Amino acid sequence: MRMANDEARWIARASEGDTAAFRHLVEAHSRALFRICVRITGDAALAEDAVQEAFFNAYRHLRDFDGRAAFATWLHRIAVNAALEQMRKRQRVESALPEGDENHDLLAHAFEHPPGPDRHAASAEVRRGIESQLARMSAIERAAFVLRHHEGQSLEDISAALSLSVSASKQAIFRAVRKLRAALEPMDTLES
Amino acid sequence: MNTISDDDLVLYHYRDGLGPDRLADIERALGASAGLRERYARIERALAGADAWPAPVPDAEFDTRLWRRLEPRLRAPSAVQRETRASWLGAVRAWLSPPRMAFAAATCVLALAVSIGFLAGRRSAPDLAGSRQADVAAARVLDAYVAAHLRATESVLLTASNSDSAKLLDGNREFAASLVEANRLYAIAAARAGNAQLADFLRQIEPVLIALANPVTSGAIQPAEGLRDYLDSTDLLFQVRATQARLERAGMHRT
Repeated sequence: MRMANDEARWIARASEGDTAAFRHLVEAHSRALFRICVRITGDAALAEDAVQEAFFNAYRHLRDFDGRAAFATWLHRIAVNAALEQMRKRQRVESALPEGDENHDLLAHAFEHPPGPDRHAASAEVRRGIESQLARMSAIERAAFVLRHHEGQSLEDISAALSLSVSASKQAIFRAVRKLRAALEPMDTLES
Repeated sequence: MNTISDDDLVLYHYRDGLGPDRLADIERALGASAGLRERYARIERALAGADAWPAPVPDAEFDTRLWRRLEPRLRAPSAVQRETRASWLGAVRAWLSPPRMAFAAATCVLALAVSIGFLAGRRSAPDLAGSRQADVAAARVLDAYVAAHLRATESVLLTASNSDSAKLLDGNREFAASLVEANRLYAIAAARAGNAQLADFLRQIEPVLIALANPVTSGAIQPAEGLRDYLDSTDLLFQVRATQARLERAGMHRT
Protein backbone atom coordinates (compact mmCIF):
# COMPACT_ATOMS: atom_id res chain seq x y z
CA MET A 1 0.00 0.00 0.00
CA ARG A 2 2.84 2.35 0.97
CA MET A 3 4.59 1.48 -2.30
CA ALA A 4 1.44 2.27 -4.29
CA ASN A 5 1.06 5.60 -2.50
CA ASP A 6 4.70 6.45 -3.13
CA GLU A 7 4.30 5.55 -6.77
CA ALA A 8 1.19 7.70 -7.17
CA ARG A 9 3.08 10.62 -5.62
CA TRP A 10 6.10 10.11 -7.88
CA ILE A 11 3.86 9.94 -10.94
CA ALA A 12 2.10 13.18 -9.96
CA ARG A 13 5.39 14.98 -9.34
CA ALA A 14 7.09 13.57 -12.45
CA SER A 15 4.18 14.65 -14.63
CA GLU A 16 4.91 18.19 -13.43
CA GLY A 17 8.47 17.83 -14.70
CA ASP A 18 10.18 16.62 -11.52
CA THR A 19 12.95 14.41 -12.90
CA ALA A 20 14.03 13.29 -9.42
CA ALA A 21 10.56 11.82 -8.88
CA PHE A 22 10.73 10.21 -12.30
CA ARG A 23 14.03 8.62 -11.32
CA HIS A 24 12.21 6.74 -8.54
CA LEU A 25 9.83 5.35 -11.15
CA VAL A 26 12.74 4.39 -13.40
CA GLU A 27 14.50 2.57 -10.59
CA ALA A 28 11.33 0.77 -9.55
CA HIS A 29 10.54 -0.57 -13.02
CA SER A 30 13.75 -0.62 -15.06
CA ARG A 31 14.70 -4.24 -14.43
CA ALA A 32 11.26 -5.62 -15.21
CA LEU A 33 11.22 -3.63 -18.45
CA PHE A 34 14.70 -4.85 -19.33
CA ARG A 35 13.58 -8.45 -18.79
CA ILE A 36 10.69 -8.07 -21.23
CA CYS A 37 12.72 -6.12 -23.76
CA VAL A 38 15.64 -8.54 -23.79
CA ARG A 39 13.26 -11.47 -24.21
CA ILE A 40 11.60 -9.77 -27.14
CA THR A 41 14.74 -8.47 -28.82
CA GLY A 42 17.07 -11.30 -27.77
CA ASP A 43 19.85 -8.75 -27.44
CA ALA A 44 20.90 -6.95 -24.25
CA ALA A 45 22.15 -3.81 -26.02
CA LEU A 46 18.97 -3.45 -28.07
CA ALA A 47 16.93 -4.08 -24.93
CA GLU A 48 18.80 -1.37 -23.07
CA ASP A 49 18.08 1.11 -25.87
CA ALA A 50 14.45 0.01 -25.85
CA VAL A 51 14.17 0.56 -22.09
CA GLN A 52 15.67 4.01 -22.46
CA GLU A 53 13.21 4.87 -25.24
CA ALA A 54 10.33 3.46 -23.21
CA PHE A 55 11.10 5.63 -20.20
CA PHE A 56 11.64 8.68 -22.39
CA ASN A 57 8.27 8.16 -24.08
CA ALA A 58 6.62 7.44 -20.75
CA TYR A 59 7.99 10.69 -19.33
CA ARG A 60 6.70 12.67 -22.28
CA HIS A 61 3.25 11.15 -22.00
CA LEU A 62 2.92 10.88 -18.23
CA ARG A 63 -0.02 13.23 -18.29
CA ASP A 64 -1.83 10.80 -20.57
CA PHE A 65 -1.60 8.09 -17.91
CA ASP A 66 -5.13 8.04 -16.55
CA GLY A 67 -4.67 5.38 -13.88
CA ARG A 68 -7.21 2.99 -15.40
CA ALA A 69 -4.50 0.37 -15.87
CA ALA A 70 -1.74 -0.20 -13.34
CA PHE A 71 1.28 2.02 -13.97
CA ALA A 72 3.43 -1.10 -14.52
CA THR A 73 1.01 -2.38 -17.17
CA TRP A 74 1.06 1.00 -18.93
CA LEU A 75 4.86 1.07 -18.85
CA HIS A 76 5.10 -2.52 -20.10
CA ARG A 77 2.97 -1.64 -23.13
CA ILE A 78 5.28 1.24 -23.96
CA ALA A 79 8.33 -0.97 -23.47
CA VAL A 80 6.98 -3.76 -25.69
CA ASN A 81 6.48 -1.26 -28.50
CA ALA A 82 9.91 0.26 -27.94
CA ALA A 83 11.42 -3.23 -28.16
CA LEU A 84 9.53 -3.95 -31.38
CA GLU A 85 10.72 -0.64 -32.82
CA GLN A 86 14.33 -1.53 -31.96
CA MET A 87 13.88 -4.85 -33.74
CA ARG A 88 12.39 -3.15 -36.78
CA LYS A 89 15.36 -0.79 -36.88
CA ARG A 90 17.76 -3.70 -36.68
CA GLN A 91 15.90 -5.59 -39.38
CA ARG A 92 16.03 -2.55 -41.64
CA VAL A 93 19.80 -2.78 -41.39
CA GLU A 94 20.36 -6.48 -41.41
CA SER A 95 17.36 -7.50 -43.54
CA ALA A 96 18.27 -10.94 -42.36
CA LEU A 97 15.08 -12.62 -41.27
CA PRO A 98 11.77 -12.31 -43.09
CA GLU A 99 8.80 -11.63 -40.85
CA GLY A 100 5.91 -13.88 -39.98
CA ASP A 101 5.43 -15.47 -43.36
CA GLU A 102 5.18 -19.21 -43.18
CA ASN A 103 6.41 -19.48 -46.77
CA HIS A 104 9.71 -17.99 -45.72
CA ASP A 105 10.05 -19.96 -42.53
CA LEU A 106 13.74 -20.49 -42.02
CA LEU A 107 13.05 -23.37 -39.67
CA ALA A 108 12.65 -25.58 -42.69
CA HIS A 109 16.12 -24.60 -43.80
CA ALA A 110 17.48 -25.14 -40.31
CA PHE A 111 16.27 -28.73 -40.28
CA GLU A 112 17.81 -29.60 -43.61
CA HIS A 113 20.98 -29.96 -41.57
CA PRO A 114 19.84 -31.11 -38.12
CA PRO A 115 22.55 -31.04 -35.47
CA GLY A 116 24.00 -34.36 -34.36
CA PRO A 117 23.02 -36.14 -31.13
CA ASP A 118 26.16 -34.95 -29.36
CA ARG A 119 24.95 -31.38 -29.61
CA HIS A 120 21.82 -32.23 -27.67
CA ALA A 121 23.67 -33.63 -24.73
CA ALA A 122 24.49 -30.34 -23.07
CA SER A 123 21.61 -28.33 -21.65
CA ALA A 124 23.43 -25.15 -22.63
CA GLU A 125 23.17 -26.29 -26.22
CA VAL A 126 19.45 -26.91 -25.82
CA ARG A 127 19.06 -23.42 -24.39
CA ARG A 128 21.01 -21.96 -27.26
CA GLY A 129 18.78 -23.92 -29.63
CA ILE A 130 15.70 -22.41 -28.01
CA GLU A 131 17.17 -18.95 -28.23
CA SER A 132 18.00 -19.43 -31.87
CA GLN A 133 14.43 -20.63 -32.60
CA LEU A 134 13.02 -17.69 -30.66
CA ALA A 135 15.17 -15.49 -32.85
CA ARG A 136 13.48 -17.04 -35.90
CA MET A 137 10.05 -15.98 -34.72
CA SER A 138 8.76 -12.75 -36.15
CA ALA A 139 8.88 -9.76 -33.81
CA ILE A 140 5.14 -9.93 -33.18
CA GLU A 141 5.14 -13.70 -32.60
CA ARG A 142 8.01 -13.38 -30.20
CA ALA A 143 6.45 -10.46 -28.33
CA ALA A 144 3.07 -12.18 -28.05
CA PHE A 145 4.67 -15.41 -26.86
CA VAL A 146 6.93 -13.67 -24.32
CA LEU A 147 4.01 -11.69 -22.91
CA ARG A 148 1.78 -14.76 -22.64
CA HIS A 149 4.29 -17.38 -21.57
CA HIS A 150 6.93 -15.51 -19.58
CA GLU A 151 5.01 -12.48 -18.34
CA GLY A 152 1.71 -14.27 -17.79
CA GLN A 153 -0.31 -11.53 -19.49
CA SER A 154 -3.84 -12.23 -20.68
CA LEU A 155 -4.73 -12.24 -24.37
CA GLU A 156 -6.71 -9.03 -23.77
CA ASP A 157 -3.63 -7.28 -22.37
CA ILE A 158 -1.41 -8.65 -25.13
CA SER A 159 -3.84 -7.38 -27.75
CA ALA A 160 -3.81 -3.93 -26.16
CA ALA A 161 -0.02 -3.89 -25.91
CA LEU A 162 0.52 -4.96 -29.50
CA SER A 163 -2.44 -3.10 -31.00
CA LEU A 164 -3.80 -6.34 -32.40
CA SER A 165 -7.19 -8.01 -32.20
CA VAL A 166 -7.49 -10.85 -29.68
CA SER A 167 -7.75 -13.24 -32.61
CA ALA A 168 -4.53 -11.94 -34.21
CA SER A 169 -2.76 -12.19 -30.85
CA LYS A 170 -3.88 -15.83 -30.54
CA GLN A 171 -2.64 -16.58 -34.05
CA ALA A 172 0.75 -14.99 -33.26
CA ILE A 173 1.05 -17.18 -30.16
CA PHE A 174 0.02 -20.30 -32.08
CA ARG A 175 2.66 -19.65 -34.75
CA ALA A 176 5.27 -19.05 -32.06
CA VAL A 177 4.37 -22.31 -30.29
CA ARG A 178 4.51 -24.21 -33.58
CA LYS A 179 8.02 -22.90 -34.24
CA LEU A 180 9.06 -23.73 -30.72
CA ARG A 181 7.72 -27.25 -31.06
CA ALA A 182 9.39 -27.68 -34.43
CA ALA A 183 12.64 -26.77 -32.73
CA LEU A 184 12.23 -28.79 -29.56
CA GLU A 185 10.43 -31.95 -30.59
CA PRO A 186 13.29 -33.32 -32.74
CA MET A 187 15.53 -32.90 -29.68
CA ASP A 188 12.90 -34.65 -27.58
CA THR A 189 12.84 -37.57 -29.99
CA LEU A 190 16.61 -37.89 -30.02
CA GLU A 191 16.86 -37.76 -26.23
CA SER A 192 14.15 -40.38 -25.62
CA MET B 1 -14.56 -37.41 -33.69
CA ASN B 2 -11.81 -35.42 -32.03
CA THR B 3 -12.34 -31.72 -32.77
CA ILE B 4 -9.82 -30.41 -30.31
CA SER B 5 -6.92 -28.81 -32.15
CA ASP B 6 -3.40 -28.24 -30.90
CA ASP B 7 -4.19 -24.52 -30.83
CA ASP B 8 -7.09 -25.27 -28.45
CA LEU B 9 -4.68 -27.20 -26.26
CA VAL B 10 -2.29 -24.23 -26.18
CA LEU B 11 -5.12 -21.99 -24.97
CA TYR B 12 -6.16 -24.70 -22.51
CA HIS B 13 -2.61 -24.76 -21.15
CA TYR B 14 -2.78 -21.03 -20.46
CA ARG B 15 -6.43 -21.15 -19.37
CA ASP B 16 -6.98 -18.11 -21.56
CA GLY B 17 -9.05 -17.35 -24.64
CA LEU B 18 -11.54 -20.22 -24.13
CA GLY B 19 -14.93 -20.04 -22.53
CA PRO B 20 -15.75 -22.16 -19.46
CA ASP B 21 -17.79 -24.62 -21.54
CA ARG B 22 -14.92 -25.24 -23.95
CA LEU B 23 -12.48 -25.65 -21.07
CA ALA B 24 -14.78 -28.23 -19.51
CA ASP B 25 -15.09 -30.06 -22.87
CA ILE B 26 -11.32 -30.30 -23.20
CA GLU B 27 -10.97 -31.40 -19.59
CA ARG B 28 -13.42 -34.24 -20.19
CA ALA B 29 -11.81 -35.21 -23.50
CA LEU B 30 -8.38 -35.35 -21.88
CA GLY B 31 -9.76 -37.72 -19.25
CA ALA B 32 -11.23 -39.96 -21.92
CA SER B 33 -8.56 -40.04 -24.66
CA ALA B 34 -4.99 -41.29 -24.24
CA GLY B 35 -4.11 -39.96 -27.70
CA LEU B 36 -5.25 -36.45 -26.75
CA ARG B 37 -3.33 -36.70 -23.47
CA GLU B 38 -0.20 -37.58 -25.44
CA ARG B 39 -0.70 -34.60 -27.78
CA TYR B 40 -1.20 -32.31 -24.80
CA ALA B 41 1.89 -33.70 -23.07
CA ARG B 42 3.98 -32.91 -26.17
CA ILE B 43 2.74 -29.31 -26.15
CA GLU B 44 3.45 -28.98 -22.44
CA ARG B 45 6.98 -30.36 -22.92
CA ALA B 46 7.65 -27.79 -25.68
CA LEU B 47 6.34 -24.94 -23.54
CA ALA B 48 8.36 -26.15 -20.57
CA GLY B 49 11.37 -26.11 -22.91
CA ALA B 50 10.90 -22.37 -23.33
CA ASP B 51 11.41 -22.04 -19.58
CA ALA B 52 14.95 -23.34 -20.04
CA TRP B 53 15.63 -19.86 -21.31
CA PRO B 54 16.65 -18.13 -18.05
CA ALA B 55 15.23 -14.76 -17.02
CA PRO B 56 17.77 -12.24 -18.30
CA VAL B 57 19.28 -10.00 -15.65
CA PRO B 58 20.95 -6.70 -16.48
CA ASP B 59 24.45 -6.00 -15.20
CA ALA B 60 25.09 -4.12 -11.96
CA GLU B 61 25.72 -0.80 -13.72
CA PHE B 62 22.49 -0.94 -15.70
CA ASP B 63 20.45 1.52 -13.61
CA THR B 64 23.28 4.04 -13.36
CA ARG B 65 23.96 3.84 -17.08
CA LEU B 66 20.27 4.08 -17.94
CA TRP B 67 19.73 7.19 -15.83
CA ARG B 68 22.93 8.84 -17.07
CA ARG B 69 21.65 8.51 -20.65
CA LEU B 70 18.06 9.30 -19.87
CA GLU B 71 18.43 12.38 -17.70
CA PRO B 72 19.76 14.80 -20.34
CA ARG B 73 16.97 13.72 -22.68
CA LEU B 74 14.39 14.49 -20.02
CA ARG B 75 15.85 17.95 -19.60
CA ALA B 76 15.83 18.64 -23.34
CA PRO B 77 13.07 20.99 -24.55
CA SER B 78 11.75 18.22 -26.77
CA ALA B 79 10.89 16.16 -23.69
CA VAL B 80 8.72 18.87 -22.23
CA GLN B 81 5.18 18.80 -23.54
CA ARG B 82 3.64 20.60 -20.66
CA GLU B 83 2.23 24.03 -20.09
CA THR B 84 4.74 26.13 -18.25
CA ARG B 85 3.60 28.36 -15.42
CA ALA B 86 4.23 32.01 -16.02
CA SER B 87 6.00 32.60 -12.78
CA TRP B 88 9.35 34.19 -12.10
CA LEU B 89 10.68 30.71 -11.31
CA GLY B 90 9.43 29.47 -14.68
CA ALA B 91 11.06 32.42 -16.38
CA VAL B 92 14.38 31.74 -14.66
CA ARG B 93 14.13 28.06 -15.54
CA ALA B 94 13.31 28.93 -19.14
CA TRP B 95 16.27 31.27 -19.31
CA LEU B 96 18.49 28.54 -17.90
CA SER B 97 17.29 26.19 -20.64
CA PRO B 98 19.74 23.55 -21.94
CA PRO B 99 20.63 25.54 -25.11
CA ARG B 100 21.75 28.56 -23.11
CA MET B 101 23.38 26.41 -20.46
CA ALA B 102 25.22 24.40 -23.11
CA PHE B 103 26.60 27.51 -24.72
CA ALA B 104 27.41 29.20 -21.39
CA ALA B 105 29.18 26.09 -20.10
CA ALA B 106 31.19 25.74 -23.30
CA THR B 107 32.16 29.42 -23.15
CA CYS B 108 33.29 29.06 -19.52
CA VAL B 109 35.35 25.99 -20.32
CA LEU B 110 36.98 27.72 -23.26
CA ALA B 111 37.68 30.79 -21.12
CA LEU B 112 39.20 28.53 -18.48
CA ALA B 113 41.39 26.81 -21.06
CA VAL B 114 42.54 30.17 -22.48
CA SER B 115 43.27 31.63 -19.02
CA ILE B 116 45.24 28.61 -17.95
CA GLY B 117 47.27 28.69 -21.15
CA PHE B 118 47.92 32.39 -20.60
CA LEU B 119 48.91 31.93 -16.97
CA ALA B 120 51.06 28.91 -17.76
CA GLY B 121 52.99 31.00 -20.30
CA ARG B 122 53.74 33.63 -17.67
CA ARG B 123 54.90 31.22 -15.00
CA SER B 124 58.55 30.89 -14.05
CA ALA B 125 60.27 27.55 -13.40
CA PRO B 126 59.58 27.37 -9.63
CA ASP B 127 55.89 27.74 -10.40
CA LEU B 128 55.79 24.63 -12.60
CA ALA B 129 54.36 22.34 -9.89
CA GLY B 130 51.49 24.72 -9.29
CA SER B 131 51.03 25.08 -13.03
CA ARG B 132 50.79 21.30 -13.38
CA GLN B 133 48.09 21.17 -10.71
CA ALA B 134 46.17 23.87 -12.53
CA ASP B 135 46.51 21.93 -15.82
CA VAL B 136 45.12 18.80 -14.18
CA ALA B 137 42.22 20.74 -12.69
CA ALA B 138 41.47 22.35 -16.06
CA ALA B 139 41.63 18.98 -17.83
CA ARG B 140 39.23 17.52 -15.27
CA VAL B 141 36.79 20.39 -15.84
CA LEU B 142 37.08 19.96 -19.59
CA ASP B 143 36.53 16.19 -19.31
CA ALA B 144 33.42 16.66 -17.18
CA TYR B 145 31.88 19.31 -19.41
CA VAL B 146 32.63 17.52 -22.66
CA ALA B 147 31.23 14.28 -21.19
CA ALA B 148 28.00 16.14 -20.32
CA HIS B 149 27.98 17.67 -23.80
CA LEU B 150 28.34 14.22 -25.37
CA ARG B 151 25.46 12.91 -23.25
CA ALA B 152 23.32 15.72 -24.61
CA THR B 153 24.56 14.95 -28.14
CA GLU B 154 23.69 11.30 -27.67
CA SER B 155 20.19 12.27 -26.58
CA VAL B 156 19.76 14.46 -29.67
CA LEU B 157 20.92 11.65 -31.94
CA LEU B 158 18.68 9.10 -30.26
CA THR B 159 15.63 11.35 -30.38
CA ALA B 160 16.26 12.22 -34.01
CA SER B 161 16.72 8.60 -34.99
CA ASN B 162 13.91 7.12 -32.88
CA SER B 163 11.11 9.62 -33.21
CA ASP B 164 8.75 10.14 -36.11
CA SER B 165 6.87 12.92 -34.34
CA ALA B 166 7.28 16.19 -36.23
CA LYS B 167 6.69 18.17 -33.04
CA LEU B 168 9.33 16.25 -31.14
CA LEU B 169 11.80 16.51 -34.01
CA ASP B 170 11.24 20.24 -34.12
CA GLY B 171 12.18 20.60 -30.45
CA ASN B 172 15.12 18.33 -31.01
CA ARG B 173 16.25 20.50 -33.93
CA GLU B 174 16.46 23.52 -31.60
CA PHE B 175 18.41 21.50 -29.08
CA ALA B 176 20.82 20.34 -31.81
CA ALA B 177 21.27 23.96 -32.92
CA SER B 178 22.22 24.93 -29.37
CA LEU B 179 24.81 22.17 -29.27
CA VAL B 180 26.54 23.23 -32.50
CA GLU B 181 28.16 26.31 -30.98
CA ALA B 182 28.97 24.50 -27.75
CA ASN B 183 30.53 21.67 -29.73
CA ARG B 184 32.72 24.11 -31.64
CA LEU B 185 33.89 25.78 -28.42
CA TYR B 186 34.63 22.45 -26.77
CA ALA B 187 36.68 21.42 -29.82
CA ILE B 188 38.72 24.64 -29.48
CA ALA B 189 39.11 24.09 -25.73
CA ALA B 190 40.23 20.49 -26.30
CA ALA B 191 42.77 21.60 -28.92
CA ARG B 192 44.12 24.28 -26.59
CA ALA B 193 44.38 21.71 -23.81
CA GLY B 194 46.50 19.57 -26.14
CA ASN B 195 43.87 16.87 -26.62
CA ALA B 196 43.96 16.70 -30.42
CA GLN B 197 42.12 13.38 -30.55
CA LEU B 198 39.14 14.75 -28.64
CA ALA B 199 39.19 17.95 -30.71
CA ASP B 200 39.12 15.89 -33.92
CA PHE B 201 36.27 13.77 -32.67
CA LEU B 202 34.22 16.83 -31.74
CA ARG B 203 34.87 18.32 -35.18
CA GLN B 204 33.64 15.06 -36.68
CA ILE B 205 30.34 15.41 -34.79
CA GLU B 206 29.77 19.00 -35.87
CA PRO B 207 28.39 18.33 -39.38
CA VAL B 208 25.91 15.84 -37.95
CA LEU B 209 24.67 18.38 -35.41
CA ILE B 210 24.46 21.03 -38.14
CA ALA B 211 22.45 18.64 -40.33
CA LEU B 212 20.09 17.93 -37.43
CA ALA B 213 19.74 21.62 -36.67
CA ASN B 214 18.95 22.42 -40.31
CA PRO B 215 16.86 19.62 -41.79
CA VAL B 216 16.28 19.73 -45.53
CA THR B 217 12.51 19.81 -45.03
CA SER B 218 10.89 20.74 -41.74
CA GLY B 219 9.06 18.13 -39.67
CA ALA B 220 10.29 15.52 -42.06
CA ILE B 221 10.23 11.80 -41.51
CA GLN B 222 12.63 11.14 -44.38
CA PRO B 223 15.58 13.00 -42.85
CA ALA B 224 14.95 11.05 -39.62
CA GLU B 225 15.15 7.83 -41.60
CA GLY B 226 18.27 9.08 -43.36
CA LEU B 227 19.84 9.72 -39.97
CA ARG B 228 18.79 6.28 -38.75
CA ASP B 229 20.45 4.72 -41.74
CA TYR B 230 23.53 6.85 -41.19
CA LEU B 231 23.74 5.97 -37.50
CA ASP B 232 23.07 2.34 -38.28
CA SER B 233 25.75 2.23 -40.94
CA THR B 234 28.37 4.12 -38.94
CA ASP B 235 29.35 3.65 -35.34
CA LEU B 236 28.93 7.31 -34.44
CA LEU B 237 26.52 6.68 -31.57
CA PHE B 238 28.86 4.06 -30.17
CA GLN B 239 31.82 6.45 -30.51
CA VAL B 240 29.89 9.19 -28.71
CA ARG B 241 29.08 6.82 -25.86
CA ALA B 242 32.60 5.40 -25.72
CA THR B 243 34.23 8.84 -25.70
CA GLN B 244 31.83 10.02 -23.05
CA ALA B 245 32.61 6.98 -20.87
CA ARG B 246 36.35 7.44 -21.42
CA LEU B 247 36.17 11.09 -20.39
CA GLU B 248 34.23 10.22 -17.26
CA ARG B 249 36.79 7.58 -16.35
CA ALA B 250 39.67 9.93 -17.11
CA GLY B 251 38.08 12.64 -14.97
CA MET B 252 37.88 10.28 -12.02
CA HIS B 253 41.49 9.14 -12.36
CA ARG B 254 43.18 12.51 -12.85
CA THR B 255 45.21 13.58 -9.83
